Amino acid sequence: MEGLTHAQAVVTFAWWIALDLSVLLYILLDGADLGAGIFSLFVRNPNERAAIMSAMAGTWDANETWLIVGGGVLFGTFPFVYGSTFNYLMMPLALALWGMITRALALEFRHLAETPWQRFSDLCFGFSSLTVAFFGGMAVGAILQGFPLTNVPGTVPTYVGGSFRFISLFSIWTGIAAVLAVTLAGLLFIRARFEVGEPIREHAARWTDTIFYLGLGAVAITVVVNAAIFRWASQKWFGPHFWIWGIVLLAVIFAAFKMRMATRQDRDLMAILWFNAAVAIMAGAMMATVYPWIVPHTWTIYTGASPAVSLFTFTLAMGGFFPVMLMYNAYQLWVFRARISALAAYH
Amino acid sequence: MPGSPLAVFLSRLDFAWITTLHILYPPLTIGLACLLFLAEWRWFATDDERWYRLVRFFSQLFIVNFAAGVATGITMEMAFGILYGPFSQAAGPFFGQVLGYETITAFMYEAGFIGLMIFGWGKISKGVHLFATFNVALSSSLSAMWILDANSWMQTPSGIELRDGYFHVTDWVAAILNSDVFLGYPHMQVAAIELALCFVIAVSAWFVLCRRHVALFRVSLQYAVLALVVIAPLQVYLGDGLGLIVAQDQPAALAAMEGHYHTYNPDGSVDTSWKVVGWPNAAGDDMAWSISIPHFLSVLETHTWNGKVTGLDAFPPENRPPVLVPFYAFRVMAAAGGVLVLFALWGAWIMLRRRLSDDALASKRLFLWAAILCGFLPYISVWCGWWVREVGRQPWLVYGLMRTEQGVSRMSVTSAALWLLGYMYFELIVWGSTWYFFGKTMRRGPDLDSPVEHGGTQQLGELEPRRGDAPSYVRPI
Repeated sequence: MEGLTHAQAVVTFAWWIALDLSVLLYILLDGADLGAGIFSLFVRNPNERAAIMSAMAGTWDANETWLIVGGGVLFGTFPFVYGSTFNYLMMPLALALWGMITRALALEFRHLAETPWQRFSDLCFGFSSLTVAFFGGMAVGAILQGFPLTNVPGTVPTYVGGSFRFISLFSIWTGIAAVLAVTLAGLLFIRARFEVGEPIREHAARWTDTIFYLGLGAVAITVVVNAAIFRWASQKWFGPHFWIWGIVLLAVIFAAFKMRMATRQDRDLMAILWFNAAVAIMAGAMMATVYPWIVPHTWTIYTGASPAVSLFTFTLAMGGFFPVMLMYNAYQLWVFRARISALAAYH
Repeated sequence: MPGSPLAVFLSRLDFAWITTLHILYPPLTIGLACLLFLAEWRWFATDDERWYRLVRFFSQLFIVNFAAGVATGITMEMAFGILYGPFSQAAGPFFGQVLGYETITAFMYEAGFIGLMIFGWGKISKGVHLFATFNVALSSSLSAMWILDANSWMQTPSGIELRDGYFHVTDWVAAILNSDVFLGYPHMQVAAIELALCFVIAVSAWFVLCRRHVALFRVSLQYAVLALVVIAPLQVYLGDGLGLIVAQDQPAALAAMEGHYHTYNPDGSVDTSWKVVGWPNAAGDDMAWSISIPHFLSVLETHTWNGKVTGLDAFPPENRPPVLVPFYAFRVMAAAGGVLVLFALWGAWIMLRRRLSDDALASKRLFLWAAILCGFLPYISVWCGWWVREVGRQPWLVYGLMRTEQGVSRMSVTSAALWLLGYMYFELIVWGSTWYFFGKTMRRGPDLDSPVEHGGTQQLGELEPRRGDAPSYVRPI
């Protein structure tokens, strides 16, 4: 493959940032929906379970589309990565997809179903949320491990290693960590979406402490394991710029602390924002650690990029569509900001 | 064995299954969004409550269909990479870019406004709501345009160069404006509108037939039938034009569609006969039997009495598409299109001849039953149309440049079969629940009692709870 021009390399880098931003927005926005779904497995009152779904009724599909945007940017700008990585991740992605489909159906169709089926629909909603979170996390872990590519001259390197290579202790662990993280996001979401004094809000508040400390522990373990098993991580973190990574670590701890304070004071929106800040810093730090790889030791962002990337299309997308999308996504969240009560189940 | 003919065939079946079960939903989303916009605009302009009730009722059906479309559509985006990894890599510089545009300019755009359109009643003003509906119609149509552009490029690839195992884009304008898209996209867009019209006709006819809310549903029935008088012939015209493009750019696909095996008769004269029906022989090199009309093929494809139409024998056997599916799918699609034209004329005759009372309309049982059955025809047509297009392109993935077996992921037969079974199961559940909830919504019928939502911001809340305050009101959404 011939190299990119300098201008193209710059555009590719910018697209990579856009890709990361889309995926991050997906994790922040839909993560809360998934977590609320997982929490609904532990909610006994059927009206409260229905109210959890009502709380996200107007926004869940817009939140999920950030994943589609991420997929679109990946296919459009990094087709070589898309074609081989999705092949490698066939199993976890297929399972996460089944989860998403089931979840979408449970969300849209629950209020139309007969009462005995509503219990079934609630179970589908909860378990599919769990499935999406777990296999999504597993896919991230599997990507960090990298995968082998073919090397046939005159063709694009691709993946031929079978459907089960993605399974490892590490990827299973990242799946579990992802479930903990989204559950915390879901709890914060439920606290912010229900009227003060609603029993479900108190229920979520009781859970927050435990899940917060579990999540913190999971992050710490993940960081240590990363440093221990991945050379690309330890080289950067303990290299000459170690102090930068120290500052990042302090920033994460600070954000987590502020989030904790906000939940103590019942300032729900601030809690969500600080939680999001902590996740954003960690995701950014992870991307910076992996750079220039997009899949460690498999594709760099430059070898994986389409040779057709151009400043024109980037400007069109980033200058035109991304800001508009962000604006109406924000407007939509604003319109649907009203807190609800379990009575909202009767709509 | 990865890469064996069976694994390739299973991969094709996998993709055929998920696309076939996906295309059930987007055309209704696209077409119905346009119709909902028109109806809501009538309400906005005239303040006639019937339009409002119709919009609210059809919105309920719309959202059931939309949810199924999203659920099956997300699968599609991932399936390119999973099932057709090498194709995604090779065609990515063009194909991926175009799907990326679709995602950004259409999918995301649509999802943003659909939330406002469905759940925004009473939270946003009437004008903003109409604007949201307009944007849903526009964005879903844009989505169809990009998807059809990507698919048309696979039919008539231009503006690219195959080097080092992938397609370099040499000319973006030529690639995007490839020859097939000029009629491929309009054919699909009009199909979506035709399908939505028939859907509205069938639903309205069912209510009229049951003598429920006749005064309300005769409005939608009449307007939809009259619109169909224009749309149905337009679709036949566009389809004929697309056929000529296929004849010119993909002669092998056209020969398969027409079951035209031999350019020349055994005596050396040009074979001009058009086969109405037939069945290929075991060797697959001729029809075992057929009923044909002499000269009709030449008239159809060349607009001359004795014009030469290239037969399948002009192509090496490994480059010939299968005949049976394109041949019959094409006939079914064309026949359905023709029936809809006749139905539209019949309906217009009934509607326009004289002013019908509600009761007189409800007693036209034969017409109403026909109207209900016509609700299914466009679905069958859309399926058949896509089968003609995709099977007719075989054995190529990118016509003339990349063969299907070069583009599929190296999956084992077990993986491919597991995927197929898993998605058969899931998408049948999606399909079944869509039907079930359509039925349920229809049995419940339109809500004629709740107050009309004239818009406003009275149902918005506070972001941070006000301390010590009990909620001032309970807000059901």
